[in-house]
Amino acid sequence: MTKTPLHILQRLWRDTGFALVLLVILLVVNLILNPTRFQPSAWGSLIGLAAPLIGAAVASAPVILGGRGGIDISVGPLMGFVNAIVIQLLFLKAGISSPFVIIPAALLIGAAIGAINGALTTLVRIQPIVATLGTYLVLTGVTLTILPAPIGPAPAWLKALAGPWSALPLIALFAAWWTIRRLPYYDQLMAIGSDDRAAYTAGVNVTRVRFIAYVITGVFAAIAGLMLTALIGSADPNIGQAYTLISIAAVALGGVSLAGGRGGLVGASIGAIDIFLLQSVLTAFNVSTYVLQIAYGAILVVAVILTAVQERAARGREV
Amino acid sequence: MSDTASLHARDLVIRRGASPITEKIRSGEIVGLAGLDGHGQERFLETLAGLQKPIAGSVSLERCGSERRITDFRKAVAARIAYLPRDRRATGIFPTQSVLDNFAISTVSEDARFGFIRAGHRARRYEVYRDRLSIAAPRPDAPITTLSGGNQQKVLLARALALQPDVLLLNDPTRGVDVATRHVLYDVFRGLAADGMALAVLSSEIEEILLLCHRVLVFRDHDIVANLKGSAMTTDAVIAAMFGRAA
Repeated sequence: MTKTPLHILQRLWRDTGFALVLLVILLVVNLILNPTRFQPSAWGSLIGLAAPLIGAAVASAPVILGGRGGIDISVGPLMGFVNAIVIQLLFLKAGISSPFVIIPAALLIGAAIGAINGALTTLVRIQPIVATLGTYLVLTGVTLTILPAPIGPAPAWLKALAGPWSALPLIALFAAWWTIRRLPYYDQLMAIGSDDRAAYTAGVNVTRVRFIAYVITGVFAAIAGLMLTALIGSADPNIGQAYTLISIAAVALGGVSLAGGRGGLVGASIGAIDIFLLQSVLTAFNVSTYVLQIAYGAILVVAVILTAVQERAARGREV
Repeated sequence: MSDTASLHARDLVIRRGASPITEKIRSGEIVGLAGLDGHGQERFLETLAGLQKPIAGSVSLERCGSERRITDFRKAVAARIAYLPRDRRATGIFPTQSVLDNFAISTVSEDARFGFIRAGHRARRYEVYRDRLSIAAPRPDAPITTLSGGNQQKVLLARALALQPDVLLLNDPTRGVDVATRHVLYDVFRGLAADGMALAVLSSEIEEILLLCHRVLVFRDHDIVANLKGSAMTTDAVIAAMFGRAA
C-alpha cells in the first residue's frame, strides 16, 4: 500500500485513461496557439471561465457513480434556477447581498432539489432519467416564471469569484469531495454502483446511499450555479440547460462509467477541462459553434471507445 | 463469539401448502441442508437470513436467554447473523472494487475514527483474515477480479466473518472452488463451530455435507423429510430422503 508518485499516476491513468492524454495534448496546443491567454496573470479569469462546466461535471458524477441508471439531467436547470433565485429574488428584490445568506440559501435549494430527485428515484422508484427530466422541465419553467428576461447585476463579491478568487469555489467543491471520499459512505456508494444486489446482501442500505448521492449532486450543482452566476455577473433564465448534456459528456470523457461504480470526480473534472480546452482551441481557429458541437460529439465517442479498449485490455491481463 | 447463540425457526412455512418447520441451529453446530435443487432448502436458508418473508411462523435468535425476532435482512445483520450468497458473480463481489474494499464493505464504519476511514486500520483488519483463510492475493488494492474463484470466495467469507457473527449461513460455499481451497474452508468452518458459532451449510454435494456437518436436514417439496445425524448420516440415506424413498 505504498503511495509513490508512480502509483498515483498509475491510478490516475486507470481512472481517467484517455482524458488525461487529451488534457496534456490540448494544453500544449493551447499554449502554442494562445500563450497570452494562458499566462499566470490570466489564470484567475481563465479558471472562472472553466469553473461552471467543471462544477456541472463534478455535480453530475455522484449519482452516476451510484449505478443502476443513476443520472441527474436536472443539473443544468438547477444551476439556472439558483442563478435566478440568487440574483432576482435575493439580491434585487429582497436586497440581500451578504454571502453568509446567499451561499447557504443556494446550497439549501440544491439540497432540496436533490432530495426531491432522490425521493422520486429511490422511494417512488421512477427511472432516474425520467424523474430528473421532470425536474428539468419544472425547474426550467419556474426559472422563466421568476425571471422572464436576463437581468443584472450581481454582488461584487460574487463577481470576484469568477475573477481573482475563481479558484475558491472549486477548492471548496474538491474539499467537500475529498472529505466524502474518506467517509464510510464513499465505499458504500462505489459498492452500490458496482453491484447493488451484492451491496444489499452485504448489508448496505442501498436506498439511503443512493438518496444521499442525489442530495450531494444537488448541493454540488448549486455550487456550480453560484460559479455560473459569478461568471455571467447577472441572471439569465436560458443559460443553465446547456450545461446538462455537456457535463454528462465531460463525465463520460473523464472515464466515469455511466453504468456506475467506476471513475471519480477528478476524472469528471479532467473531462470538463478537456472540453473547455477544446473549445478554446477551436475558437482560436475561429471555428463556428456548429463545428464546435460536432467536435464535442466526435471527441466524446472516440474517448469512450478508447476507454473501453483500455478497460478491455486491462481485464484481458487480469483473467 | 463467546456467548452462545442459537437460531430458531418456529412453525416456519416457506411455501403455501407446505407443512411448518420447527428447527434449532445451536451454537457449535454445523447443520447441512440437502435436497434436490428447488426443493426449499435455499428458501429456508434465505428465510433464516431474513432475505425472504415466511408464509407463516417466525425466525428468532436466542442469545443468553433473550430472544430477538428476525423479520428482515437488516435485523438479521444487526443480530449478527451473516449470510454468504451462492452466486458469487451476481450477488457477491463488486467487480470494479479492490480486494480490500470488497472485504470491508459490510463493516466500513469499523475503520472510521471521527467519521473518517483509516486505510491502515482496514489493511490490518484484512491481514488477520488473510492469514486465517490463507487468501492468495498479492496486492490487496488490486481489483477483486484478479483473484481466482476460490480466493474471491475467501474474501467474501472474510467479509462475513468481519461482522463477528454468531450465526453463519452459507449458501453452497464451495461451488466452483478447487479441492485444496475446499479443505481450507472446511477447516475454517470446523474451527468456527468449535469457537461456538452456529453454522448452516447448504450444499449441492452430499459428500461435502457428510464430511463437514454434524447433522443434515433433507428437504423435499419444501418440507424437511429427514433429520439425520451420527451413523444414520450416509449417502444412501440422504439420497433416499431426497427422492422420497424409504431407506
